[in-house]
Amino acid sequence: MFLYGFMQRAFQASVLISLIAPMLGLFLILRRQSLMADTLSHVSLAGVALGLLLGYDPTWMNILVVVVVAGILEYLRKVYRTYSEISIAILMSGGMAVALVLMGLNDSGATVSIQQFLFGSIVTISVQQVWMLLVLTLLIIILYSVFRKAMYTLTFDEETAYTAGLPIQFMSVMFNILTGVTIALIMPIVGALLVSAILILPAAISIRLSKSFNGVIFIGIVVALFGMIMGLVGSYYLGTPPGATITLIYIAVFSVIAVFK
Amino acid sequence: MQYIKVEDLAFHYEDEPVLENICFEVNSGDFAMLTGENGAAKTTLLRNILGLLKPTKGSVMLSKKNRENKKLVVGYIPQQVASFNAGFPSTVLELVRSGRYPRGKWFKKLDEDDEKHVEKALESVGMWEMRHKKIGELSGGQKQRISIARVFAMDPDLFILDEPTTGMDVASREEFYKLLKHASDYHGKGILMVTHDHEEIRHYANKHIELVRKEGSPWRCFSMDSCKERSKHPSSFH
Ligand SMILES: Nc1ncnc2c1ncn2[C@@H]1O[C@H](COP(=O)(O)OP(=O)(O)O)[C@@H](O)[C@H]1O
Ligand SMILES: [Mg+2]
Repeated sequence: MFLYGFMQRAFQASVLISLIAPMLGLFLILRRQSLMADTLSHVSLAGVALGLLLGYDPTWMNILVVVVVAGILEYLRKVYRTYSEISIAILMSGGMAVALVLMGLNDSGATVSIQQFLFGSIVTISVQQVWMLLVLTLLIIILYSVFRKAMYTLTFDEETAYTAGLPIQFMSVMFNILTGVTIALIMPIVGALLVSAILILPAAISIRLSKSFNGVIFIGIVVALFGMIMGLVGSYYLGTPPGATITLIYIAVFSVIAVFK
Repeated sequence: MQYIKVEDLAFHYEDEPVLENICFEVNSGDFAMLTGENGAAKTTLLRNILGLLKPTKGSVMLSKKNRENKKLVVGYIPQQVASFNAGFPSTVLELVRSGRYPRGKWFKKLDEDDEKHVEKALESVGMWEMRHKKIGELSGGQKQRISIARVFAMDPDLFILDEPTTGMDVASREEFYKLLKHASDYHGKGILMVTHDHEEIRHYANKHIELVRKEGSPWRCFSMDSCKERSKHPSSFH
């Protein structure tokens, strides 16, 4: 199956996503922002729809829209500390609704491609996408190794992090933006509906397996590589959507561990 | 040297005054205790000092420099510090080592000196043997103790502690106060600690800031009864 160029690109993308997902996923879980990832993926559909409608490159349009919304979310998180679920719910349904309306306005054959974005498609991964993902992965690895201690401190407790002199506001915004860009880039591959699962499940699994913070990332990468590659192979032979296949493998692993631990 | 100076501070939540006419200072070498009934706005006062809340009136000065004219390092233990997310994946050792990060180690490896501080801090609260345990698996009192160890490892110039001994037994509390007193007497640390332990701690603190309910106010508003100061005589530490 590696004879097909698209399968090679799909494998390259999977390996890259496996490296990113546990790092972002761990912080998303610990900062209780799993829902934010879901919101951003819905919003990113709107970004793609807007790009298709206006005739711009959907990838860049998508990144732009998602980054703006990630900034808004951080603002809402701060202002409505206790009610942030509501604003998230509104943005999530709003993103979906805008995407559907924009699709309706677009009467060229673009509905086909929005299907792809909902459920993900590996056939359409372009060389450009793989390159962008590679740059993003390198960026995240570098940022993680430089700011690991600061992020640990911030995630453990924001207020003590503030008193320890960290720019917590700036760090939160940067983290959200990075999450937004990641979602915008991997959404077309795994599908808007399951991006957050792909980001969060490896860390959710490895948190149960490791006692230490660094251990979680390391085990998370192993889990992600296993799930992504098995899922991809499975989806190739069974003809099932890749995002869903990968998610089911993660859930299977999660269940096995929950039973034995 | 002055580390904290609070001048005529008032604080309101929305329109509701909870603090009024607060004035006191905490200097290098002071061990100040802050007391008051539940809801007396002790936590609110600490949060004003740390800059987590902005005073409605008056001012708070938190020194930028320590007595060696270097950046002042503040070690804060919030109330209910032990109620941290039990799922947080960290060993005791990792958490206590993170106390060293604000000591210029955000981007540097911890060196031998750092590791010594960490070991000493863990030993001083009797948690060295537990260092490889996951923090979520500790008892309440143990969580409190590793939070204390984290701050001791930081070796801050100023300790700001909000009921730090909750859930700890008498003997470990006593031990903890002794360590603090030693730090203020011999290393010039400033300490501001919220506590309900009037009796026990009287022997250690040299300053007592008491918040009492204001008479005649329709609100549950608190003000200072007094700020009693005892001249400081370094006790014989053993
Ligand atoms: N975020 C908040 N918003 C509104 N009122 C608050 C808030 N936090 C505390 N309060 C009120 O302020 C008063 C003082 O609270 P607090 O500072 O926690 O007291 P203490 O630490 O002395 O027990 C209480 O009456 C409490 O209900
Ligand atoms: Mg309190």
